[in-house]
Amino acid sequence: MRFDRRKVSEEIPTSSMADITFLLIIFFMVTSTFAATRGLDFALPKEDRNPPLIEKEDAVLITIRPGGAIEMDNKPTPFEGIHAYLKPRLEKNQTKPVIIRPEPNAAYGDMVRVYDLLRQIKLLEGKLVVREDVEPITDERWNGAKELNISIPTQREIDQFWY
Amino acid sequence: MRLQARNRARAVIPTASMADIVFLLIIFFILTFNLEVDKARVMLPKSNLRTEVPKRAAVVSITENGQMRVSDGESASTAVSGPEDVLSFATGVIAGDPNKEFILKADRNVAYKNVDRVLDTLKQARVPVVYLLSDQETVEGAGGGG
Repeated sequence: MRFDRRKVSEEIPTSSMADITFLLIIFFMVTSTFAATRGLDFALPKEDRNPPLIEKEDAVLITIRPGGAIEMDNKPTPFEGIHAYLKPRLEKNQTKPVIIRPEPNAAYGDMVRVYDLLRQIKLLEGKLVVREDVEPITDERWNGAKELNISIPTQREIDQFWY
Repeated sequence: MRLQARNRARAVIPTASMADIVFLLIIFFILTFNLEVDKARVMLPKSNLRTEVPKRAAVVSITENGQMRVSDGESASTAVSGPEDVLSFATGVIAGDPNKEFILKADRNVAYKNVDRVLDTLKQARVPVVYLLSDQETVEGAGGGG
């Protein structure tokens, strides 16, 4: 048979492998980001031509002023006082909506701060609590607790449906 | 010559293990890979509650001066002139995939009216869920800064 009898190296040539893989590494390093992959989920209500009419009196209204000042039903309240203000009202009427109403020139960050706080408050066995209040608690039980009925109407909705 | 008489040392750097290490790194980067579709620099608001945003979600970004950019999550973001363009963009995306999630990447100092108008257009486009991109809130005084 006509084998090529020249000496053939028994090793797999791996010297170029490092070049290729380093190139790939550099590509992934440059194009990947680690920050900014987490956030607050916010389910948008379905666009409804005839939404259930919510009277202002039936809800807790949180106004956010430019500069970050907060008013609960038009009464100035510190950020730390939001939970205490909601507690008696929501424990009495558990389906009471909470409306966040940032003023046009209020900072977006202040709205997120309030929304974040409200998302951490839940109704567990009729009590308005944050998770730290009821520790130790299983994830399952905490996730099953009732979340607040938070609504952030847009300016157009307010113009359309409120008075 | 004496040199030839010497035992030949192999002039090779051992690279066999290099491939293992490098592949490990590649796998790590592939798993954490997340193409940055929007490069707008914003100071994100801070929150305690943060959930992982879905990959390939469409992005609407608003910088501090109100400049908006949109991306469908696949290609790089493009600047738009205002909320009207965001509406046509979002309608188009939702027409292609009615369950597409949107990410709102807005600066924490932006006036809420800008965010309000974007949220309103997303509602009109029947976007099911919006993720408000945020940074981790740090304990007061522990040097969060930003």
